[in-house]
Amino acid sequence: MRVRLRRQATLLATVAGLLLAATPVAQAYEPVNIVHTEKVQAGPYPITVGFSTWPLRAIQSLDFTFAPDGGIEGKSGTLTMTPATRSTESRKRPLVRHPRKLEVWGLDIRALEEQGDWTFRFRLDGPEGPGEGALTLTALEPPGPPMALNWSLSTLPLIGLVAFLAIAWRRTRAEVLAG
Amino acid sequence: MDLTAPGAHGVRAAATPRTAARGMPTAMALLAGSVLGLVGLTWDVQWHTDVGPDTFFTLPHLFIYAGSALSGLAALVAVLGATAAARAGRPLDPTVGGASVGVFGRTFTAPVGYLISGVGAAVFLLYGMWDLWWHGVYGFDAVIDSPPHIGLLLSGIVTMVGTIMVFAAAAEHRWGRVGTDVSIALTAANVTITVLGLTDVGGPVDAVHTAMAWLVVILLLTAAGFRPTRGGAVIMAGWLAVIQAVTWWFSPWAAYAYADAVGLPVRDYINGVPVMPALMPMALIAVALLIEPILKAARAHGNRWLPVAAGAVAGALVAALQGIQDSIVYTYPTPGPGTLLPTAVAGALLGALAGHLGWRFGHMLRLVNRTRPEGN
Repeated sequence: MRVRLRRQATLLATVAGLLLAATPVAQAYEPVNIVHTEKVQAGPYPITVGFSTWPLRAIQSLDFTFAPDGGIEGKSGTLTMTPATRSTESRKRPLVRHPRKLEVWGLDIRALEEQGDWTFRFRLDGPEGPGEGALTLTALEPPGPPMALNWSLSTLPLIGLVAFLAIAWRRTRAEVLAG
Repeated sequence: MDLTAPGAHGVRAAATPRTAARGMPTAMALLAGSVLGLVGLTWDVQWHTDVGPDTFFTLPHLFIYAGSALSGLAALVAVLGATAAARAGRPLDPTVGGASVGVFGRTFTAPVGYLISGVGAAVFLLYGMWDLWWHGVYGFDAVIDSPPHIGLLLSGIVTMVGTIMVFAAAAEHRWGRVGTDVSIALTAANVTITVLGLTDVGGPVDAVHTAMAWLVVILLLTAAGFRPTRGGAVIMAGWLAVIQAVTWWFSPWAAYAYADAVGLPVRDYINGVPVMPALMPMALIAVALLIEPILKAARAHGNRWLPVAAGAVAGALVAALQGIQDSIVYTYPTPGPGTLLPTAVAGALLGALAGHLGWRFGHMLRLVNRTRPEGN
């Protein structure tokens, strides 16, 4: 028994070692490929907004880049992304460097969840003082099958589990109640 | 699927030390698959929160899929072994995976725990393929609540339910009882992320915390109902605390080590909170201790309403305390009574239902091999 366990432990350790050894030291992540840009003026700061996919479609994610003229050094700011269906402005998020394009701010692989107009509002602070500006973007209808179908497919395991538990419940009812 | 035991090679109880030893490696492989999956999931969530970029072939994803594959292979080995034994006319030991059922007529004979785990693992891989297609169409947006991700999480939970059954079937052995407690705690750790799909639900009740309370209380009461003596709820809560402590350390460490290895920076302005471990209720041991006397009375008197009351108490506490836990962990302002009270009431109502279901599920688990655990 002990020998068998030791053998199994050795096998597991070997598999784990092979898995780790097979991991590439540096994985190739897709570079940010901007295919379309828009301009927005946030007070004294012109910002170039870049998109890795154009036109925008709801639910379809993409890279956004926000590049103020003169670079991001010495500047900070916030971004809100508010759909037209929402009456109040969405939560402010700090403008952060794009993880795969560190010289600009950005959002890595982010989707606009709703179809329709969205307002991107930038509030910047820098050497020329504070500034604010907004860009309106339109998200077209989402690609792919209807979301109702997608969600129906996604919940099949839950339905199966509930059905199984219901059958097991019925079959064990008498024994469970008898204690 | 034929849910009757194969008649020609009827299931007979034949528990011997030898069969117990034979059942343990496949059960442990099943459990190891669940552990690998949880490790990958906590790592993946932390990666997306603190580092970012995604492809299908990341190391955390490898852990997630390897975990499911290991569980699936363990289930396959067990089902093929049971099928071969049944065809050879050998007696099947129901403590190995539970009572057996015929699948596709009498083509296969499957211990029910392994059948459920195997189906979950197979469906998991199908959802994985769908997820790959999804990312091709919709991009690699790393959200937890996309349809394929929810399908993946749910099928992972199906596998874990099968794992619980496999260990429960071996409850006459110490490893079976311990494995049942650990499997239930692993399932609780996993379900915490699933409820984030309710993040956008508005209203005075915190839907995420209420749903989490419901699921965790079901599992807490399942653990309590399964164990014929007291302490089941506290032991399960203790295992969840162990999982929380380990992943609290592991997930940020692994995310940063992996980022370092692939040459990616950590995001700006991250708060460093271990995301998935922070979802797990921290006060569960205290809650479990609080309801143990109620459950003791339920056992003593066979009262069916006391587990409902215990579930209501636990549900209210878990749902309300989760808001306070979030405020401490993320340094938010503590939610006011306008949120906490309705959430506690909703938690109590759903907790009552969870208490009823969980207690019953625990008793059903005792019957998974149609024998009573003799331990304790």
